[in-house]
Amino acid sequence: MIRAGFGSAAGLSPRFPSPPDMSGIAEVLTEEAAVQTPVGPSLHVTPLVNEGDVVRQGAAVACLRHAPDVCFVAPLAGRVARISLLPGRKLSEIVLFREAEGDVERHDCKVAKTAGGLRRLMQSSGVWPWLRRRPFGGMPAPHEKPAAIVVMATDTRPFAPDPRRALEGREDDLTRGLIALEQLTDGPVMLCQQAGPELIEPGIGEGRIRVVTCGPRHPQGSAGIRIHQLFPAGLDTPIWDLHAEDAAALGALLETGSLPMRRLVHIAGAALRDAQTVWTHPGADLRQLTQRLVSPGPHILTSGSPLDWHATRWLAPRHRQVTVVPREATRQRPHWLVAALTQSATPRPAIPTAALTQAFGGAIPATPFIRALSAGDDETAMAFGLLSLLEEDVALADYVLGEGGQFVAQLRRMLDRIKTEFAA
Amino acid sequence: MTRGLWSRETVALMLLAAYLPLALFWLWFGGAEALARLGLSLLVVGVWHLVFLLARAQPPSLAALITALAIAMLAPEGLGGFRMILGISFGVVMGELVFGGWGRNVVNPATVTLSFLGFGFPAFAWPVFDDPVAWAAIPAALIAGVTGTVPVAVLASAALVGAVAAASGVLPEQVLFAAGIVLVLLVADPVTSAATTLGRWINGALYAGLVTLFATGWAGAAPVQIAVAAALLTSLAVPLLDEIALALWIARRRRRHGRT
Repeated sequence: MIRAGFGSAAGLSPRFPSPPDMSGIAEVLTEEAAVQTPVGPSLHVTPLVNEGDVVRQGAAVACLRHAPDVCFVAPLAGRVARISLLPGRKLSEIVLFREAEGDVERHDCKVAKTAGGLRRLMQSSGVWPWLRRRPFGGMPAPHEKPAAIVVMATDTRPFAPDPRRALEGREDDLTRGLIALEQLTDGPVMLCQQAGPELIEPGIGEGRIRVVTCGPRHPQGSAGIRIHQLFPAGLDTPIWDLHAEDAAALGALLETGSLPMRRLVHIAGAALRDAQTVWTHPGADLRQLTQRLVSPGPHILTSGSPLDWHATRWLAPRHRQVTVVPREATRQRPHWLVAALTQSATPRPAIPTAALTQAFGGAIPATPFIRALSAGDDETAMAFGLLSLLEEDVALADYVLGEGGQFVAQLRRMLDRIKTEFAA
Repeated sequence: MTRGLWSRETVALMLLAAYLPLALFWLWFGGAEALARLGLSLLVVGVWHLVFLLARAQPPSLAALITALAIAMLAPEGLGGFRMILGISFGVVMGELVFGGWGRNVVNPATVTLSFLGFGFPAFAWPVFDDPVAWAAIPAALIAGVTGTVPVAVLASAALVGAVAAASGVLPEQVLFAAGIVLVLLVADPVTSAATTLGRWINGALYAGLVTLFATGWAGAAPVQIAVAAALLTSLAVPLLDEIALALWIARRRRRHGRT
């Protein structure tokens, strides 16, 4: 077991208002569900079904236009209600109505004996969109070989569900999933978990699977900070990350031939009467999930933690948190002269404090990194580990400095610029 | 969207709260004269912030109050209105406002002002502090350090080196007092002190080392003059210290991972 390279007390635990949790875990299959592409730029797709078709749970409903092997699958058995495409045949969402007596799609798992076959199975069964690559984020390309894979069995974001609870009784599936992932890379497969008994037996696979223990405070359980510490991503060394629950689902797919869609989701936020943990599925309808929980009054349904949410109706792919926040009354705009004098100089400079250092878990020289980000200095930011990071990893720094999304936007702009420069 | 606490103005307010014991003790012992100096420097600093707000839409910061307090406490005595206004204008405009305001400045405006006044008008006597005022620097450092608004490493390394020098008997008591107040007010400023942990340790040690050097080798210098000169030289060396610390950090990562 490896302990993380810096003090396990590093990081912050920001508090957000939320009512106490209801006891027990409810099992909710929503009447409607949506298939969406991962958060980020929308992707060109080819729909494989028509409106009105009946699909099985786990059946492919769309595939990538330029890589038809990579499929997006239905999270529940149902009837295709609506296919909405954006201009350029980019996928917005495919909405499904649940049918009570639906079937489950089965895959032939004999092909997964080889690395190529496993890759094809993951792409056709819908596991592929659950992977995320660094640098730059998004789904990995179909033939990309990662330098390492990080499996996150810890989530330190506020109100995140405990992955240990999601993995209870699924240790065999997780082990099988990790051994499968080991086939995809020549480098290590690292399982990040909280202190406590190890989730897997030592010495499985070819010996490249390692368990890493990290501390309880955010951002120690953030994939980007972990990758930065353990195996930094580079332009020619992509690193993939995957949630441990999804790795266990991959293990179950290899055992049974069908991909389980169950996912542990925590619902919290200031606009609720009760917070709750539920078993649901990707693309779940947030209105139905929160129906009996919200308190009266205007509110916004968001997918993601209070640090990095976005307003939506569906549980986003990879997300395991729902945050319901009160809708604030639109503020009175300040007088034009006051606005001209005070708002033209935004963003305000970041003052180095202990809080800023801890917002990166002490793993990155925070102030020079933030200064390089705001100055648009790509080279320096890359030297500090920019390529290992994504929006969710700097979301805490943005929150701490009270800048309202400034650094997240700067990071995304810089990553996009580096991506286009190196693609050219 | 809910927002965190540590915006620029919160840090300025926390620093102000930390400096409150120092300011109150100094005003208590300084009386009306101290109040008049504080009023004058507040007025001049405020006017320049207002000028930059109107001319360049550069929002003013509460850190202006900290600058004014440091200048009023440490400036040479008996300068008269004109010289004070000249010195403060130079320091605040060239040290802070032309760079874009507090948070973007490279040197502390109060350090620039004090150096300008001290070396420009050497005939005037530097202030001398009463013991309770100097002791009040300790709670100020504690409050600022515990809230995380000033780098603890700077304070700790300066205190360590200073303690060694004081124990070996090379630092007179008055120099120690002045150096402590300047450390809290000027050197440990979060913006212009070093930004990396290693850089911070060297930063504090360098300041204390320079104070010791000047105390032993600079004949006829006033205690506050020694401390201000050491603060100025330290703040000029800070970018280099940070650069060294970052180069070491990057080299270590490159050795461990083969890339950064």
